[in-house]
Amino acid sequence: MNAGKLARLSVSILVFTGVWWTSSGTFFEEAIVPSPVSVAGKLGEMIWNTELFAHLGASLRRIVLGYALGCVIGIVVGVATGAIRLARDLIEPPLEFCRNIPPVALIPLVVSIFGIGEIGKYFIISYASGIAVLFNTAAGVASTPQIRVRAALCLGAHKRDIFVRVVLPSAWPHVLTGLRLALGFSFMGVVAAEMLAADQGIGFLIMQSTNIIAPAEMFVGFLMLGSFGLITDQLFRMTIHRLMRRYMIPMA
Amino acid sequence: MSWRVLRLEGVGKDFTRADGGVAEVLRDVTLTVERGSFFTLLGPSGCGKSTLLNIVAGFEGATTGGASLDDKPVAGPGTDRTVIFQDVSNALFPWMNARENVEFGPKMARLGAGERKERADTYLRLVGLDADAGKFPFELSGGMKQRIQIARALANDPDILLMDEPFAALDAITKKHLQVEFRKIWSETGKTIFYITHDIFEALLLSTHLAVMTAGPKAGIKEVFQLDLAEPRSPSNPDFAAMYSRVETLIDEEVQRMRAR
Repeated sequence: MNAGKLARLSVSILVFTGVWWTSSGTFFEEAIVPSPVSVAGKLGEMIWNTELFAHLGASLRRIVLGYALGCVIGIVVGVATGAIRLARDLIEPPLEFCRNIPPVALIPLVVSIFGIGEIGKYFIISYASGIAVLFNTAAGVASTPQIRVRAALCLGAHKRDIFVRVVLPSAWPHVLTGLRLALGFSFMGVVAAEMLAADQGIGFLIMQSTNIIAPAEMFVGFLMLGSFGLITDQLFRMTIHRLMRRYMIPMA
Repeated sequence: MSWRVLRLEGVGKDFTRADGGVAEVLRDVTLTVERGSFFTLLGPSGCGKSTLLNIVAGFEGATTGGASLDDKPVAGPGTDRTVIFQDVSNALFPWMNARENVEFGPKMARLGAGERKERADTYLRLVGLDADAGKFPFELSGGMKQRIQIARALANDPDILLMDEPFAALDAITKKHLQVEFRKIWSETGKTIFYITHDIFEALLLSTHLAVMTAGPKAGIKEVFQLDLAEPRSPSNPDFAAMYSRVETLIDEEVQRMRAR
Protein backbone atom coordinates (compact mmCIF):
# COMPACT_ATOMS: atom_id res chain seq x y z
CA MET A 1 0.00 0.00 0.00
CA ASN A 2 1.48 3.36 -1.00
CA ALA A 3 1.54 6.48 1.18
CA GLY A 4 -1.34 8.23 -0.60
CA LYS A 5 -3.61 5.24 -0.32
CA LEU A 6 -2.73 4.78 3.35
CA ALA A 7 -3.51 8.44 4.01
CA ARG A 8 -6.89 8.15 2.30
CA LEU A 9 -7.69 5.00 4.27
CA SER A 10 -6.81 6.78 7.54
CA VAL A 11 -8.97 9.76 6.65
CA SER A 12 -11.85 7.48 5.74
CA ILE A 13 -11.67 5.60 9.04
CA LEU A 14 -11.20 8.80 11.05
CA VAL A 15 -14.19 10.49 9.42
CA PHE A 16 -16.37 7.44 9.97
CA THR A 17 -15.39 7.20 13.64
CA GLY A 18 -15.73 10.97 14.04
CA VAL A 19 -19.28 11.01 12.68
CA TRP A 20 -20.18 8.15 14.99
CA TRP A 21 -18.55 9.87 17.99
CA THR A 22 -20.13 13.28 17.48
CA SER A 23 -23.59 11.90 16.75
CA SER A 24 -23.52 9.85 19.94
CA GLY A 25 -25.04 11.90 22.79
CA THR A 26 -26.09 14.68 20.40
CA PHE A 27 -28.09 13.41 17.45
CA PHE A 28 -28.74 10.06 19.14
CA GLU A 29 -29.08 9.45 22.84
CA GLU A 30 -26.07 7.75 24.31
CA ALA A 31 -28.32 4.97 25.58
CA ILE A 32 -29.10 4.16 21.96
CA VAL A 33 -25.85 4.91 20.10
CA PRO A 34 -22.99 4.69 22.60
CA SER A 35 -19.71 6.48 21.88
CA PRO A 36 -16.70 4.63 20.45
CA VAL A 37 -15.01 5.01 23.86
CA SER A 38 -17.72 3.20 25.80
CA VAL A 39 -17.88 0.50 23.08
CA ALA A 40 -14.11 0.05 23.31
CA GLY A 41 -14.42 -0.18 27.09
CA LYS A 42 -17.15 -2.79 26.75
CA LEU A 43 -15.04 -4.70 24.25
CA GLY A 44 -12.11 -4.76 26.71
CA GLU A 45 -14.38 -5.91 29.49
CA MET A 46 -15.87 -8.70 27.40
CA ILE A 47 -12.44 -9.87 26.31
CA TRP A 48 -11.25 -9.78 29.93
CA ASN A 49 -14.11 -11.89 31.26
CA THR A 50 -13.96 -14.11 28.09
CA GLU A 51 -17.68 -13.59 27.44
CA LEU A 52 -16.84 -12.36 23.94
CA PHE A 53 -14.99 -15.53 23.02
CA ALA A 54 -17.95 -17.68 24.00
CA HIS A 55 -20.21 -15.76 21.62
CA LEU A 56 -17.63 -15.51 18.88
CA GLY A 57 -16.69 -19.17 19.18
CA ALA A 58 -20.32 -20.28 18.98
CA SER A 59 -20.97 -18.20 15.85
CA LEU A 60 -17.75 -19.19 14.12
CA ARG A 61 -18.27 -22.87 14.80
CA ARG A 62 -21.74 -22.65 13.26
CA ILE A 63 -20.43 -20.77 10.25
CA VAL A 64 -17.50 -23.10 9.63
CA LEU A 65 -19.54 -26.30 9.88
CA GLY A 66 -22.66 -24.98 8.14
CA TYR A 67 -20.66 -23.34 5.37
CA ALA A 68 -18.49 -26.40 4.77
CA LEU A 69 -21.53 -28.62 4.56
CA GLY A 70 -23.34 -26.17 2.29
CA CYS A 71 -20.33 -25.90 -0.03
CA VAL A 72 -19.85 -29.64 -0.36
CA ILE A 73 -23.53 -30.24 -1.10
CA GLY A 74 -23.67 -27.19 -3.37
CA ILE A 75 -20.69 -28.29 -5.44
CA VAL A 76 -21.77 -31.92 -5.76
CA VAL A 77 -25.38 -31.14 -6.66
CA GLY A 78 -24.28 -28.16 -8.77
CA VAL A 79 -21.93 -30.29 -10.87
CA ALA A 80 -24.66 -32.88 -11.32
CA THR A 81 -27.28 -30.32 -12.37
CA GLY A 82 -24.81 -28.60 -14.69
CA ALA A 83 -23.56 -31.76 -16.35
CA ILE A 84 -26.48 -34.20 -16.38
CA ARG A 85 -29.59 -33.22 -18.23
CA LEU A 86 -31.87 -35.52 -16.24
CA ALA A 87 -30.54 -34.13 -12.96
CA ARG A 88 -31.04 -30.58 -14.19
CA ASP A 89 -34.65 -31.20 -15.25
CA LEU A 90 -35.47 -32.90 -11.97
CA ILE A 91 -33.60 -30.74 -9.48
CA GLU A 92 -33.66 -27.26 -10.89
CA PRO A 93 -37.38 -26.38 -10.79
CA PRO A 94 -37.80 -26.89 -7.02
CA LEU A 95 -34.48 -25.16 -6.39
CA GLU A 96 -35.45 -22.20 -8.55
CA PHE A 97 -38.50 -21.98 -6.33
CA CYS A 98 -36.55 -22.33 -3.09
CA ARG A 99 -33.90 -19.75 -3.96
CA ASN A 100 -36.59 -17.07 -3.67
CA ILE A 101 -37.25 -17.98 -0.06
CA PRO A 102 -34.70 -16.12 2.08
CA PRO A 103 -33.08 -18.32 4.73
CA VAL A 104 -34.43 -15.98 7.44
CA ALA A 105 -37.98 -16.85 6.43
CA LEU A 106 -37.28 -20.49 7.14
CA ILE A 107 -36.16 -19.92 10.72
CA PRO A 108 -39.56 -20.32 12.41
CA LEU A 109 -40.07 -23.63 10.58
CA VAL A 110 -36.56 -24.80 11.35
CA VAL A 111 -37.03 -23.95 15.03
CA SER A 112 -40.27 -25.91 15.21
CA ILE A 113 -38.56 -28.89 13.59
CA PHE A 114 -35.13 -28.85 15.19
CA GLY A 115 -35.76 -26.71 18.30
CA ILE A 116 -33.21 -24.09 19.24
CA GLY A 117 -30.31 -26.54 19.11
CA GLU A 118 -27.32 -26.44 16.82
CA ILE A 119 -28.72 -28.58 14.02
CA GLY A 120 -31.25 -25.94 13.00
CA LYS A 121 -28.46 -23.35 12.73
CA TYR A 122 -26.32 -25.62 10.61
CA PHE A 123 -29.33 -26.17 8.42
CA ILE A 124 -29.97 -22.45 7.93
CA ILE A 125 -26.33 -21.70 7.12
CA SER A 126 -25.95 -24.71 4.83
CA TYR A 127 -29.12 -23.74 3.03
CA ALA A 128 -28.02 -20.13 2.63
CA SER A 129 -24.55 -21.02 1.38
CA GLY A 130 -25.49 -24.20 -0.49
CA ILE A 131 -27.94 -22.48 -2.83
CA ALA A 132 -25.37 -19.84 -3.84
CA VAL A 133 -22.67 -22.43 -4.49
CA LEU A 134 -25.05 -24.74 -6.33
CA PHE A 135 -26.35 -22.22 -8.84
CA ASN A 136 -22.92 -20.80 -9.59
CA THR A 137 -21.39 -24.25 -9.97
CA ALA A 138 -24.19 -25.45 -12.24
CA ALA A 139 -23.88 -22.31 -14.38
CA GLY A 140 -20.11 -22.80 -14.59
CA VAL A 141 -20.36 -26.43 -15.60
CA ALA A 142 -23.06 -25.72 -18.17
CA SER A 143 -21.22 -22.77 -19.72
CA THR A 144 -18.03 -24.55 -20.76
CA PRO A 145 -17.28 -23.19 -24.25
CA GLN A 146 -18.35 -25.72 -26.85
CA ILE A 147 -15.22 -25.25 -28.93
CA ARG A 148 -13.01 -26.03 -25.92
CA VAL A 149 -14.75 -29.39 -25.60
CA ARG A 150 -14.45 -29.89 -29.35
CA ALA A 151 -10.75 -29.02 -29.28
CA ALA A 152 -10.21 -31.63 -26.56
CA LEU A 153 -12.14 -34.21 -28.58
CA CYS A 154 -9.84 -33.60 -31.56
CA LEU A 155 -6.85 -34.08 -29.28
CA GLY A 156 -8.03 -37.53 -28.25
CA ALA A 157 -9.80 -36.80 -24.96
CA HIS A 158 -12.45 -39.31 -23.92
CA LYS A 159 -15.65 -38.51 -22.08
CA ARG A 160 -14.08 -38.82 -18.67
CA ASP A 161 -11.05 -36.73 -19.66
CA ILE A 162 -13.36 -34.05 -21.00
CA PHE A 163 -15.24 -33.88 -17.73
CA VAL A 164 -12.23 -33.91 -15.42
CA ARG A 165 -9.74 -31.95 -17.52
CA VAL A 166 -11.96 -29.54 -19.44
CA VAL A 167 -15.41 -29.06 -17.92
CA LEU A 168 -14.45 -28.92 -14.25
CA PRO A 169 -11.49 -26.55 -14.70
CA SER A 170 -13.63 -24.33 -16.93
CA ALA A 171 -16.24 -24.17 -14.16
CA TRP A 172 -13.75 -23.45 -11.38
CA PRO A 173 -13.91 -19.62 -11.54
CA HIS A 174 -17.71 -19.78 -11.26
CA VAL A 175 -17.46 -22.17 -8.33
CA LEU A 176 -15.14 -19.79 -6.50
CA THR A 177 -17.53 -16.90 -7.09
CA GLY A 178 -20.25 -19.04 -5.52
CA LEU A 179 -18.05 -19.95 -2.55
CA ARG A 180 -17.30 -16.32 -1.87
CA LEU A 181 -20.94 -15.23 -2.09
CA ALA A 182 -21.87 -18.14 0.14
CA LEU A 183 -19.47 -16.98 2.83
CA GLY A 184 -21.35 -13.68 3.07
CA PHE A 185 -24.69 -15.51 3.17
CA SER A 186 -23.37 -17.71 5.99
CA PHE A 187 -22.73 -14.65 8.12
CA MET A 188 -26.22 -13.35 7.43
CA GLY A 189 -27.73 -16.74 8.14
CA VAL A 190 -25.97 -17.28 11.43
CA VAL A 191 -26.89 -13.87 12.81
CA ALA A 192 -30.53 -14.27 11.84
CA ALA A 193 -30.72 -17.73 13.36
CA GLU A 194 -29.06 -16.61 16.57
CA MET A 195 -31.29 -13.57 16.92
CA LEU A 196 -34.41 -15.70 16.86
CA ALA A 197 -33.34 -18.76 18.75
CA ALA A 198 -30.09 -19.14 20.65
CA ASP A 199 -28.47 -18.65 24.01
CA GLN A 200 -25.04 -17.83 22.60
CA GLY A 201 -23.47 -16.26 19.54
CA ILE A 202 -23.03 -12.79 18.07
CA GLY A 203 -26.65 -12.62 16.88
CA PHE A 204 -27.83 -13.54 20.34
CA LEU A 205 -25.52 -10.90 21.86
CA ILE A 206 -27.07 -8.18 19.67
CA MET A 207 -30.65 -9.27 20.36
CA GLN A 208 -30.12 -9.68 24.06
CA SER A 209 -28.52 -6.26 24.44
CA THR A 210 -31.85 -4.54 23.73
CA ASN A 211 -33.60 -6.65 26.36
CA ILE A 212 -31.07 -5.85 29.05
CA ILE A 213 -30.52 -2.28 27.81
CA ALA A 214 -26.83 -2.67 27.13
CA PRO A 215 -26.24 -0.69 23.93
CA ALA A 216 -22.45 -1.02 24.07
CA GLU A 217 -22.80 -4.81 23.81
CA MET A 218 -24.84 -4.43 20.66
CA PHE A 219 -22.11 -2.33 19.11
CA VAL A 220 -19.47 -4.84 20.15
CA GLY A 221 -21.57 -7.32 18.18
CA PHE A 222 -21.53 -5.02 15.12
CA LEU A 223 -17.80 -4.57 15.51
CA MET A 224 -17.27 -8.34 15.52
CA LEU A 225 -19.48 -8.93 12.48
CA GLY A 226 -17.83 -6.15 10.51
CA SER A 227 -14.28 -7.15 11.33
CA PHE A 228 -14.76 -10.89 10.99
CA GLY A 229 -16.57 -10.50 7.71
CA LEU A 230 -13.74 -8.30 6.49
CA ILE A 231 -11.03 -10.68 7.67
CA THR A 232 -12.60 -13.83 6.23
CA ASP A 233 -13.28 -12.12 2.92
CA GLN A 234 -9.67 -10.91 2.74
CA LEU A 235 -8.42 -14.40 3.57
CA PHE A 236 -10.72 -15.76 0.92
CA ARG A 237 -9.41 -13.32 -1.65
CA MET A 238 -5.82 -14.16 -0.86
CA THR A 239 -6.52 -17.87 -1.16
CA ILE A 240 -8.38 -17.34 -4.41
CA HIS A 241 -5.59 -15.24 -5.76
CA ARG A 242 -3.19 -18.12 -5.18
CA LEU A 243 -5.57 -20.71 -6.57
CA MET A 244 -6.57 -18.54 -9.49
CA ARG A 245 -3.17 -17.42 -10.66
CA ARG A 246 -3.67 -19.76 -13.58
CA TYR A 247 -6.87 -18.08 -14.60
CA MET A 248 -5.94 -14.46 -13.98
CA ILE A 249 -9.57 -13.85 -13.12
CA PRO A 250 -9.89 -10.52 -11.34
CA MET A 251 -11.90 -11.11 -8.19
CA ALA A 252 -13.49 -7.85 -7.17
CA MET B 1 -2.90 -44.60 -41.11
CA SER B 2 -2.29 -44.45 -44.79
CA TRP B 3 -5.17 -42.88 -46.60
CA ARG B 4 -4.94 -41.20 -49.97
CA VAL B 5 -7.92 -38.92 -50.26
CA LEU B 6 -10.45 -37.16 -48.11
CA ARG B 7 -13.78 -37.35 -49.91
CA LEU B 8 -16.93 -35.38 -49.45
CA GLU B 9 -19.74 -37.02 -51.38
CA GLY B 10 -23.16 -35.52 -51.93
CA VAL B 11 -23.04 -33.72 -48.60
CA GLY B 12 -26.25 -31.96 -47.69
CA LYS B 13 -27.12 -30.38 -44.36
CA ASP B 14 -30.45 -29.16 -43.04
CA PHE B 15 -31.01 -27.35 -39.78
CA THR B 16 -34.29 -27.03 -37.97
CA ARG B 17 -34.92 -23.35 -37.45
CA ALA B 18 -36.29 -21.88 -34.24
CA ASP B 19 -39.70 -21.42 -35.90
CA GLY B 20 -39.81 -25.12 -36.77
CA GLY B 21 -39.01 -24.61 -40.45
CA VAL B 22 -36.09 -26.29 -42.18
CA ALA B 23 -33.01 -24.32 -43.27
CA GLU B 24 -31.25 -26.05 -46.13
CA VAL B 25 -27.66 -24.96 -45.66
CA LEU B 26 -25.67 -27.29 -47.90
CA ARG B 27 -26.74 -29.18 -51.02
CA ASP B 28 -24.83 -31.93 -52.76
CA VAL B 29 -21.27 -30.90 -51.95
CA THR B 30 -18.74 -33.22 -53.55
CA LEU B 31 -15.02 -32.62 -53.14
CA THR B 32 -11.81 -34.61 -53.24
CA VAL B 33 -8.86 -33.51 -51.13
CA GLU B 34 -5.56 -35.22 -51.98
CA ARG B 35 -3.26 -36.12 -49.15
CA GLY B 36 -0.60 -33.47 -48.61
CA SER B 37 -2.49 -30.72 -50.37
CA PHE B 38 -3.43 -27.33 -48.98
CA PHE B 39 -7.10 -27.26 -49.81
CA THR B 40 -9.00 -24.04 -49.28
CA LEU B 41 -12.72 -23.54 -49.25
CA LEU B 42 -13.60 -19.97 -50.14
CA GLY B 43 -17.04 -18.50 -49.96
CA PRO B 44 -19.17 -15.56 -48.93
CA SER B 45 -20.10 -15.28 -45.26
CA GLY B 46 -22.88 -17.51 -44.08
CA CYS B 47 -22.63 -19.97 -46.97
CA GLY B 48 -22.01 -22.98 -44.74
CA LYS B 49 -18.23 -23.29 -44.89
CA SER B 50 -17.94 -23.91 -41.16
CA THR B 51 -20.76 -26.41 -41.27
CA LEU B 52 -18.86 -28.34 -43.90
CA LEU B 53 -15.72 -28.25 -41.75
CA ASN B 54 -17.70 -29.46 -38.74
CA ILE B 55 -18.92 -32.40 -40.79
CA VAL B 56 -15.35 -33.32 -41.77
CA ALA B 57 -14.30 -32.91 -38.12
CA GLY B 58 -17.11 -35.22 -37.07
CA PHE B 59 -18.75 -32.67 -34.77
CA GLU B 60 -21.91 -32.72 -36.83
CA GLY B 61 -23.44 -35.37 -39.03
CA ALA B 62 -24.49 -34.66 -42.61
CA THR B 63 -28.18 -34.91 -43.51
CA THR B 64 -27.29 -36.60 -46.78
CA GLY B 65 -23.99 -38.00 -48.01
CA GLY B 66 -20.90 -37.68 -45.87
CA ALA B 67 -17.16 -37.40 -45.50
CA SER B 68 -14.74 -40.30 -45.70
CA LEU B 69 -11.01 -40.95 -45.64
CA ASP B 70 -10.57 -43.31 -48.58
CA ASP B 71 -13.48 -45.65 -47.91
CA LYS B 72 -13.68 -45.15 -44.15
CA PRO B 73 -16.60 -42.84 -43.31
CA VAL B 74 -16.09 -40.09 -40.72
CA ALA B 75 -18.21 -41.13 -37.75
CA GLY B 76 -17.09 -38.62 -35.11
CA PRO B 77 -14.13 -36.55 -33.95
CA GLY B 78 -10.79 -38.32 -34.13
CA THR B 79 -7.11 -37.65 -33.55
CA ASP B 80 -6.43 -38.00 -37.28
CA ARG B 81 -8.24 -34.69 -37.85
CA THR B 82 -7.54 -31.68 -35.64
CA VAL B 83 -9.44 -28.43 -35.87
CA ILE B 84 -7.77 -25.02 -35.47
CA PHE B 85 -10.47 -22.64 -34.30
CA GLN B 86 -10.65 -18.91 -34.91
CA ASP B 87 -11.80 -18.19 -31.34
CA VAL B 88 -8.46 -19.12 -29.85
CA SER B 89 -9.18 -17.79 -26.35
CA ASN B 90 -11.90 -20.34 -25.90
CA ALA B 91 -10.12 -23.06 -27.84
CA LEU B 92 -7.04 -23.06 -25.62
CA PHE B 93 -7.14 -24.26 -22.01
CA PRO B 94 -6.68 -20.98 -20.14
CA TRP B 95 -5.49 -22.66 -16.92
CA MET B 96 -2.62 -24.38 -18.73
CA ASN B 97 0.54 -22.63 -19.84
CA ALA B 98 1.75 -22.86 -23.43
CA ARG B 99 3.70 -26.06 -22.83
CA GLU B 100 0.85 -27.77 -20.98
CA ASN B 101 -1.54 -26.85 -23.76
CA VAL B 102 0.76 -28.37 -26.37
CA GLU B 103 1.26 -31.49 -24.24
CA PHE B 104 -2.48 -32.10 -23.89
CA GLY B 105 -2.79 -34.35 -26.94
CA PRO B 106 0.29 -36.45 -26.12
CA LYS B 107 -1.04 -36.75 -22.56
CA MET B 108 -4.37 -38.03 -23.85
CA ALA B 109 -2.40 -40.54 -25.93
CA ARG B 110 -0.82 -41.66 -22.62
CA LEU B 111 2.72 -40.86 -23.76
CA GLY B 112 5.46 -40.69 -21.13
CA ALA B 113 6.67 -37.41 -19.66
CA GLY B 114 9.93 -37.54 -21.64
CA GLU B 115 8.28 -37.90 -25.00
CA ARG B 116 5.64 -35.31 -24.15
CA LYS B 117 8.33 -32.80 -23.31
CA GLU B 118 10.22 -33.61 -26.48
CA ARG B 119 7.14 -33.09 -28.61
CA ALA B 120 6.26 -29.85 -26.87
CA ASP B 121 9.81 -28.58 -27.36
CA THR B 122 9.79 -29.50 -31.04
CA TYR B 123 6.51 -27.81 -31.88
CA LEU B 124 6.92 -24.79 -29.64
CA ARG B 125 10.21 -24.21 -31.46
CA LEU B 126 8.53 -24.74 -34.82
CA VAL B 127 6.05 -21.95 -34.09
CA GLY B 128 8.77 -19.78 -32.54
CA LEU B 129 7.46 -19.81 -28.98
CA ASP B 130 10.04 -21.96 -27.20
CA ALA B 131 10.99 -18.97 -25.03
CA ASP B 132 7.37 -18.50 -23.92
CA ALA B 133 6.61 -22.08 -22.94
CA GLY B 134 5.81 -21.12 -19.34
CA LYS B 135 3.38 -18.35 -20.20
CA PHE B 136 -0.36 -18.64 -19.86
CA PRO B 137 -2.75 -17.74 -22.69
CA PHE B 138 -3.80 -14.49 -20.99
CA GLU B 139 -0.16 -13.38 -21.11
CA LEU B 140 0.07 -13.91 -24.87
CA SER B 141 -1.14 -11.85 -27.83
CA GLY B 142 -3.77 -13.16 -30.23
CA GLY B 143 -1.13 -14.14 -32.77
CA MET B 144 0.94 -15.99 -30.17
CA LYS B 145 -2.14 -17.81 -28.92
CA GLN B 146 -2.89 -18.92 -32.45
CA ARG B 147 0.68 -20.23 -32.75
CA ILE B 148 0.13 -22.24 -29.57
CA GLN B 149 -3.05 -23.68 -31.00
CA ILE B 150 -1.16 -24.72 -34.14
CA ALA B 151 1.66 -26.25 -32.07
CA ARG B 152 -0.90 -28.06 -29.92
CA ALA B 153 -2.52 -29.55 -33.00
CA LEU B 154 0.78 -30.58 -34.60
CA ALA B 155 2.08 -32.16 -31.37
CA ASN B 156 -0.73 -34.64 -31.70
CA ASP B 157 0.49 -35.60 -35.18
CA PRO B 158 -2.85 -35.54 -37.01
CA ASP B 159 -3.12 -36.35 -40.72
CA ILE B 160 -5.27 -33.35 -41.49
CA LEU B 161 -5.52 -29.89 -40.00
CA LEU B 162 -9.00 -28.44 -40.34
CA MET B 163 -8.67 -24.69 -40.09
CA ASP B 164 -11.72 -22.49 -39.57
CA GLU B 165 -10.63 -18.96 -40.56
CA PRO B 166 -7.75 -19.22 -38.11
CA PHE B 167 -6.22 -15.81 -38.80
CA ALA B 168 -9.37 -13.79 -39.48
CA ALA B 169 -9.46 -12.21 -36.02
CA LEU B 170 -5.84 -11.03 -36.07
CA ASP B 171 -4.53 -7.60 -36.99
CA ALA B 172 -3.25 -7.18 -40.55
CA ILE B 173 0.47 -7.30 -39.74
CA THR B 174 0.27 -10.34 -37.47
CA LYS B 175 -1.97 -12.04 -39.97
CA LYS B 176 0.49 -11.55 -42.82
CA HIS B 177 3.40 -12.93 -40.77
CA LEU B 178 1.44 -15.95 -39.64
CA GLN B 179 0.24 -16.69 -43.16
CA VAL B 180 3.79 -16.76 -44.48
CA GLU B 181 5.04 -18.78 -41.53
CA PHE B 182 2.18 -21.19 -41.62
CA ARG B 183 2.80 -21.94 -45.27
CA LYS B 184 6.37 -22.80 -44.33
CA ILE B 185 5.17 -25.03 -41.52
CA TRP B 186 2.84 -26.77 -43.95
CA SER B 187 5.61 -27.46 -46.44
CA GLU B 188 7.94 -28.69 -43.67
CA THR B 189 5.44 -30.99 -41.98
CA GLY B 190 3.66 -32.18 -45.11
CA LYS B 191 0.28 -32.17 -43.38
CA THR B 192 -2.91 -32.08 -45.36
CA ILE B 193 -4.72 -28.80 -44.77
CA PHE B 194 -8.43 -28.20 -45.13
CA TYR B 195 -8.72 -24.45 -44.81
CA ILE B 196 -11.69 -22.15 -44.65
CA THR B 197 -11.61 -18.46 -45.43
CA HIS B 198 -13.60 -15.66 -47.00
CA ASP B 199 -10.36 -13.81 -47.83
CA ILE B 200 -9.40 -14.27 -51.51
CA PHE B 201 -5.89 -12.93 -50.97
CA GLU B 202 -5.23 -15.41 -48.17
CA ALA B 203 -6.60 -18.27 -50.23
CA LEU B 204 -4.30 -17.48 -53.16
CA LEU B 205 -1.29 -16.95 -50.93
CA LEU B 206 -1.58 -20.30 -49.19
CA SER B 207 -3.40 -22.94 -51.16
CA THR B 208 -2.57 -25.63 -53.66
CA HIS B 209 -6.28 -26.15 -54.32
CA LEU B 210 -9.14 -23.75 -54.08
CA ALA B 211 -12.86 -24.47 -54.07
CA VAL B 212 -15.21 -21.51 -54.42
CA MET B 213 -18.63 -21.99 -52.87
CA THR B 214 -21.95 -20.68 -54.05
CA ALA B 215 -24.00 -18.47 -51.75
CA GLY B 216 -26.38 -20.15 -49.32
CA PRO B 217 -28.94 -21.41 -48.65
CA LYS B 218 -28.47 -24.69 -50.49
CA ALA B 219 -24.83 -23.76 -50.94
CA GLY B 220 -22.64 -25.94 -53.11
CA ILE B 221 -19.33 -25.87 -54.93
CA LYS B 222 -19.14 -23.33 -57.74
CA GLU B 223 -15.70 -24.08 -59.09
CA VAL B 224 -12.48 -25.84 -58.05
CA PHE B 225 -9.02 -24.62 -59.06
CA GLN B 226 -5.61 -26.13 -58.81
CA LEU B 227 -3.27 -23.24 -58.04
CA ASP B 228 0.08 -23.55 -59.79
CA LEU B 229 1.12 -19.98 -59.14
CA ALA B 230 4.69 -18.70 -59.39
CA GLU B 231 6.66 -18.89 -56.13
CA PRO B 232 7.16 -16.95 -53.99
CA ARG B 233 3.55 -16.00 -54.31
CA SER B 234 2.91 -12.31 -54.40
CA PRO B 235 0.00 -10.11 -55.43
CA SER B 236 2.37 -8.32 -57.83
CA ASN B 237 2.91 -11.52 -59.84
CA PRO B 238 0.78 -11.41 -63.02
CA ASP B 239 -0.61 -14.94 -62.54
CA PHE B 240 -1.59 -14.12 -58.93
CA ALA B 241 -3.31 -10.93 -60.01
CA ALA B 242 -5.14 -12.66 -62.86
CA MET B 243 -6.31 -15.42 -60.56
CA TYR B 244 -7.41 -12.89 -57.98
CA SER B 245 -9.72 -11.08 -60.36
CA ARG B 246 -11.07 -14.35 -61.68
CA VAL B 247 -11.99 -15.56 -58.20
CA GLU B 248 -13.27 -12.15 -57.22
CA THR B 249 -15.65 -12.21 -60.19
CA LEU B 250 -17.00 -15.56 -59.05
CA ILE B 251 -17.55 -14.32 -55.51
CA ASP B 252 -19.19 -11.12 -56.75
CA GLU B 253 -21.60 -13.17 -58.84
CA GLU B 254 -22.59 -15.09 -55.75
CA VAL B 255 -23.03 -11.98 -53.65
CA GLN B 256 -25.20 -10.45 -56.40
CA ARG B 257 -27.25 -13.60 -56.60
CA MET B 258 -27.73 -13.59 -52.83
CA ARG B 259 -28.84 -9.92 -52.86
CA ALA B 260 -31.23 -10.50 -55.74
CA ARG B 261 -33.07 -13.07 -53.70
